[in-house]
This record gives sequence, C-alpha cells and structure tokens, in this order.
Amino acid sequence: MKIKSAITAGAVGISSLCLLVACGNKQQSSSKLVQWQQPGNLTTLDASKATDNVSFGTLNNSNEGLTMSAKNNTIKLGVAKNYRVSSDGKTYTFNLRHSKWNNGQPVTAHDFVYGWQRTVNPKTASQYSYLFDHVKNANQIGENKAPISSLGVRADGDYKLVVSLTKPQSYFKYLIAMAPFYPQSKAIVDKYGQSYGTSSSSMLYNGPFKVTGWSGTNDSWKLIKNNNYWNAKNIKFNGVKFNVQKDSNTALNQYSTGDLDLTNLVGKQQVGEFKNSKELHNLNMASTFYIEMNEKKNPIFKNQNIRKAISLAIDRNQFTKNILGDGSKPAQGYVSPGMPKHNGKTFVQDAGTNIGVSYNLNDAKKLWNKGLKETGQNSVDITLLSDDTDNGRSTTEFLQTSLEKLPGLSITSQNIPPKSRISRAQSGQFDMVINSWVADFPDPISFLSMFVSNGSYNNGKWSNSKYDALVNNAEGTDANNSNKRWEDLVNAEKTLMNDQGIVPIYYPVKPTIIKPRISGIQFFPTGSPYDLRNTHIDNDKH
Amino acid sequence: MVRYLAKRIFYLILTLFIVTTVTFFLMKIMPGTPLTNEAKLSPSERNMVLQQYGLNKPVWQQYISYIANAVHGNFGTSFQFSDQQVSYLISSRVGPSLLLGLQAIIVGVLAGIVVGSLGAIKKGTWVDTTTTIVSILGISIPSFVLSILLQYFVALKWGWLPIAGWSGFAYTILPTLALAAMPFAESARFVRTEMVDVLSADYIELARAKGLSKFGIIYHHALRNSLIPLVTIVGPLAVNIMTGSLVVENIFAIPGIGEQFVNSVVTNDYPTIMGLTIMYCFMLCVVLLITDIIYGLIDPRIRITGKRG
Repeated sequence: MKIKSAITAGAVGISSLCLLVACGNKQQSSSKLVQWQQPGNLTTLDASKATDNVSFGTLNNSNEGLTMSAKNNTIKLGVAKNYRVSSDGKTYTFNLRHSKWNNGQPVTAHDFVYGWQRTVNPKTASQYSYLFDHVKNANQIGENKAPISSLGVRADGDYKLVVSLTKPQSYFKYLIAMAPFYPQSKAIVDKYGQSYGTSSSSMLYNGPFKVTGWSGTNDSWKLIKNNNYWNAKNIKFNGVKFNVQKDSNTALNQYSTGDLDLTNLVGKQQVGEFKNSKELHNLNMASTFYIEMNEKKNPIFKNQNIRKAISLAIDRNQFTKNILGDGSKPAQGYVSPGMPKHNGKTFVQDAGTNIGVSYNLNDAKKLWNKGLKETGQNSVDITLLSDDTDNGRSTTEFLQTSLEKLPGLSITSQNIPPKSRISRAQSGQFDMVINSWVADFPDPISFLSMFVSNGSYNNGKWSNSKYDALVNNAEGTDANNSNKRWEDLVNAEKTLMNDQGIVPIYYPVKPTIIKPRISGIQFFPTGSPYDLRNTHIDNDKH
Repeated sequence: MVRYLAKRIFYLILTLFIVTTVTFFLMKIMPGTPLTNEAKLSPSERNMVLQQYGLNKPVWQQYISYIANAVHGNFGTSFQFSDQQVSYLISSRVGPSLLLGLQAIIVGVLAGIVVGSLGAIKKGTWVDTTTTIVSILGISIPSFVLSILLQYFVALKWGWLPIAGWSGFAYTILPTLALAAMPFAESARFVRTEMVDVLSADYIELARAKGLSKFGIIYHHALRNSLIPLVTIVGPLAVNIMTGSLVVENIFAIPGIGEQFVNSVVTNDYPTIMGLTIMYCFMLCVVLLITDIIYGLIDPRIRITGKRG
C-alpha cells in the first residue's frame, strides 16, 4: 500500500500543476445518456446480496420496492398503490398496483414474499438480512430455528401483501424502500441458479430502467429506459452510461472535456477549484467520523474526564476547514444531520448542539490533569489507529498534534488499509481508533443503537445503563409513541455526548460536480444513493 | 532437448506449487473475510457465508481443497463480486492487458533498436548523447508521470486523443506509449552497448574490407549479433508489461487485470489476489522457458544442456 500512496501523492502533485488550466474548459457532451463516473465496479445485481453503493445505485433505479425514498426523508409509493398500518403498529397491509417486469410478466405479491424469504434465508447468506429483524420470525429463520415459510409476510391474492412485525417499527416504511426488500421472480432465480444477478442478462427489472451491457466484471454498463415500467410515461430521458474511473484526476479531466456529466471530487484541492461553481454539489451523507477509546484494553479511558479532555482538545472547525477542506462539516454530536424532523425541529436542534465538542484547550488540560490524578497516572502512551487513505492520514496527523498538547500524552499514529482497520477495531486490538458510520436508514436509531453496552459495533466497550435503557425504550415500550420515542433518542444522544462515550469529529460530504445540462437527480443521504425518476437532459443549458 | 524440457517443466510446476503455498498461507495470516458488515449477522448467518466460501474448515483442509481446485483451473469465488468465479474474472479482463502489453513491447523494442543502433553508429557525436539522454529519461521517468503528462497534453490540452476509456484503437495509443517507455529505454541501452562491441569486432572489419555498404554491414552483420542479449530482457519485460501495469491501467481506465489487482488488494479479495499471483507466476515461468529455448536457437554457442563443450 505504501507504494500506492507514494504514487498517488506523486500523481496528485503533478496533476495539480495541470489542474488550474484544466478547469477553464466548459465543454458539455451532447449524448442522450447521462455519462456518470463510478469509483468502483458493479459487483452484483442480486438485491439480496448487494453490499456497496455502486450496486445499490444501479439496483435502486432498475428495480422498485413497495415504497421509494423521496426528498427530505419522506417516502413515495412504488409498487404499493397504498398501505395501511394497524393501530398497534405491528401489521402492514399493502395494496399493489398492476405492474410488470421488463419481460412483461406481472409483478405480484408472491414475488415480494419470495424475495423477502430469499433474503432472510440463511442459505442466501445476505449481509443485509438484519434489516428484517422486526419482521415476525426473521431472526429465528436466520438462526435455522424456524422454517422459511414462517416469515411474517404473506400474499393475500396476487395484489395484496400482509406483513406482521414482532413489535412496532416507525422506520419500517424506509426499510421497505431498500434493495433487500425488492420483489424477486422465483422463476428467474431458479432459472439462473448461482449465476442469478451476476450479469445484466441474468436478471429481471421492474424499475424505470433496465441494466444492459454488464458482463459481470467489465467497467461500464448502462441503465436504459424500461418501457414496461408502470410509470414509464413520466420517465423523460433515455438513461445512463456508467464508467468505472478509479483515478479521480482522470475523471476530472474527462469531466472538463465533456466526456463525463457527473463525477465525485476528491480532496481539498479538487474541491477548491470548484468552490464557486454552481456545478458543485456537496451531497450529504448521514455519516459521522468518530474516535472510539478502548476501555477494556486501556482502563484509563474508563475515566470520564480523560474522555472529555480528548474531545475538548480537538479544534473541529480548523480541521474541517483548513485540513480536509472538502466541504466536510465539524461534528456537533454523534447523530449526523439529515435525519427526519420531529414537530418541525431537527434532531441536532433538539439534542442540543456542541455538548462536549466545542474546542477549549484550557478546559481540556484541566480535565486531563484531573483525570490523570484520578487514575493515578503521570503519562500515557497510546496508539491511534486509522485508515491509510489520504483522509485517514490527515486525520491522524491533526489529532496527534492536537492531543499531544495534553500534558503527558504521547500518541503514535498507525495507518492501515480500511478493511484491516475494521477488523482490528472489531477484535479490540486498538487503543484509539477512528471509525465512521453511515446510517442505513433515516432514523437516529441507526446511529444510536450502536453504542448500547452489548452493541456489536461498540468496539470501545463504553457502557452506560441510562443510555441502554433509553435506546431500549425507543425500540420497545415507546416504539409506537412518536413523541416519547423522539425524547428517548434525544436523551440518549445527550447522555452519550455528556459522557463522551465516543468522540465525534466530523460529518463527511460527497462533493460531486454535475454538468448544467443534467437536472433532477435526487440524492439521498441514507439507503438508496440516488433516484433518476425525475431526471432531465437539456443540451441547451450551460 | 526432450530431457531438458521435461526437467524445466518439472521445475515450473514446483515453482508454481511453492508460490501457491506461500501465497495461500500469507493470505491466511492477513485479517479480512468476505463479510462486509460482520457484526450485524447472527452466528448462523455468518457461518453460512463462511461455509459458502469454504472458510469454516480448518486451514489445512482449505489448503488441500484449494490446491486440488487450482489444478483444475478453479481459483474459487471472488469475495468482492458475489458469485463470480475468479477464473472468469481474470479471463474476462486479461484481453485488454495483453493487447496493450503486446503493442507496447512491439513499439518500445522496435523504437529502442533504431535509437540504440543510431547511438552506436554515431558513437561520440551529439546523436549518441541525445539518444543516451532519451533512454535514461525513459528509464527514470515513472510510467504514471508519463501517463499523466501524455493525458494532460495530448488528450486534454490538444484534444488529439481520448483521455481515458476502452472503446477502440484510439483509446489504446496513450497507454501504449506510456507503457512502451520502459522497453524502449531498456532495449535502446542494450542494443547500443552491444553494437558498439560488435562494430569493433574482426568480422565487421572483414565485411568492410569486402566492400559491403554501410547499411548492409549494420543490417546483416552488426544488428543481428547485437540483438542476442535483447532476447534475454524482452521475455521478462513482456510478462511485466502484459500482466498489466497497475498504475497505467488505473489512470487510463483500462478494464484490465492490473487495475483488477489493485482493486482486489484494496477490497481484501483474497481469492482474486491468489488467482492473479499464480497466473503472473505461471506466465513468467513460461516466458523464461521460451526465452531460454530461443536463446539457444539464435546463438549456437550457448548449449541448452548447460555443459560447455
């Protein structure tokens, strides 16, 4: 990896010389397709097995579930024509519209039952089956303790679907918009067996576009308008051509000559070039970068003052503005912005901003000294673990400099490949680690459920009984009472921040540039990455 | 000859076996599984995934079945692409890398021969100095720098060729040039040195005395003998280039195996890394074998049995 980083550094250096001039070019393509850069390969079209954003993006626009994500954390109806929730919040009844697969066969409630059962079936080995954990018997099926047919979803005729949950789940409407909840055709899955979804031809589509030209391993594929889609008359453009381009400088060059209509920017310099351009869109991600402190390995982190001191010693404004400089925002808490509002207020507003995350070096030093006294230590040597990416390195460098201002603290940075970092964090082999979380669905619980005492992502083993109780109430007794549930979540966040169980650092964004001829792409911070159903191409716009 | 070949093939298999074994166990030491969000799966779901990839068995059993499958050309299923065979992944991406490599070798070596010969013939003049400088530059400029410069000037600024991608001959020109720099510089250096030697040999004097034209001497006598050492370096160079340059493929978005290799490393796709390593090793061994055979054919002074007569 070292070689690669050196190469990247060199490449960035050289292309920075070229960049200034490159930017002046204002050419646009006249292609009937949106030319879209992807940073990675499409790895599968099997809705039960997809795990990465490239695959989810393609799936969300070539298939459709009961509901779809829409603007401002709302949902709109997809294959479901309407639905009803029982007063106890445990039974959902969906009436389906008459819609078709791209081969002309009808999409029925049986396709949903089959698709859901297939995702939950442990033989499928879906890595997102946990999204079904509120659906009746899903967990038992996952543990091979109940037959697959016992899953709480049944077809009442061809166009009515009834879902039973074990307990109310206010965010269930968001989940069913996601790929693992899509309908699947049993005939097609049986026909292709192991090769189902491994190429664009071994797959059926019920969404606005069908995938073409994907061999399973190649670097480009297309989404082409599906005339059998129920709402095809409202799809106003022909489709998208995706090109895998892993080198961000090349992608930027292609953008400036008009070969690409859309690409992501990487790093301070690229973003800086487009700072004042209306083509730049800082897409929110509902994601937070934070430090976890290993209380099990280093008992010193059990001390609240020590944890608070670490948090207060970090100048998040300076870091996001001067070091990252890519549009990332300083963290004001753990739950990122981009969650649905409650009674007109955002979660960040209600949970009180900046608890324990405002930079104050004097307070930090005081708390630190107090903490050292309480734990009977004079000096502390710790390792800070992070990714070997550019961002990972900038973060460790900045944190090392900031935190070493605390007397007696010395920090060694360790930057390793992301996957290794995850595995070391999960097995507890770290003192401090920089992790990030991206919410799966737009509800604060997607963040907050992580740090309950026995949470599987709670790598630092921070534990607080009040917090545990609040999170449990939100998922249990208060699940069907939106006001109380909201209050539980707000208080859980406050507890986590007062105690600095984890130290939030920043909210990343995805800086993306889009040519003026393209409009109407709806991006989402969670779940489905984007929706093309209202996209337009207008070659006269510059 | 037959005995020699049999022996070499035996060594080839042995090398492959050792490389496979070492890579296999190195990969086992590394952390990482096909799971992307391990913690959220129930133990039985986790086992199912591991079972699918055969990762729930003891390491020695995994090893035996890996070797058994590898003999049949089955390198397992990719971690990154769900349900995709590694052998398919490699075979479907090897084409562009081979084509680029072949073009680069042909362009590079031919240009190298011309430039190298010129340098030798005009030894000591400005021509020689220039060609030497050019070939030193060729060796010392990393291919990614050259790629970026070519892309910036030729494609972006002057707009003569496409920036990146893979849909026709025009798309292959810039990456070919970037890749050709190395074989060009290497062969220019070798040819020049060798030809300077050859040109001072007695048989060249003789040819001159016979009254042959200057071109005739160079073409028929000097060049041919100067090319012998080139054979030794072109083989390994070809493997190096044809197995795909990670950086050049990345910059020009070539759907080749070099780019795939980088990607597999980044995503911990161990089966793919293993498959590619074995393939690289196999190609290198085969090319070395062929080189040795050709070497013997061109120059009878070299006995392939290894005994000096």
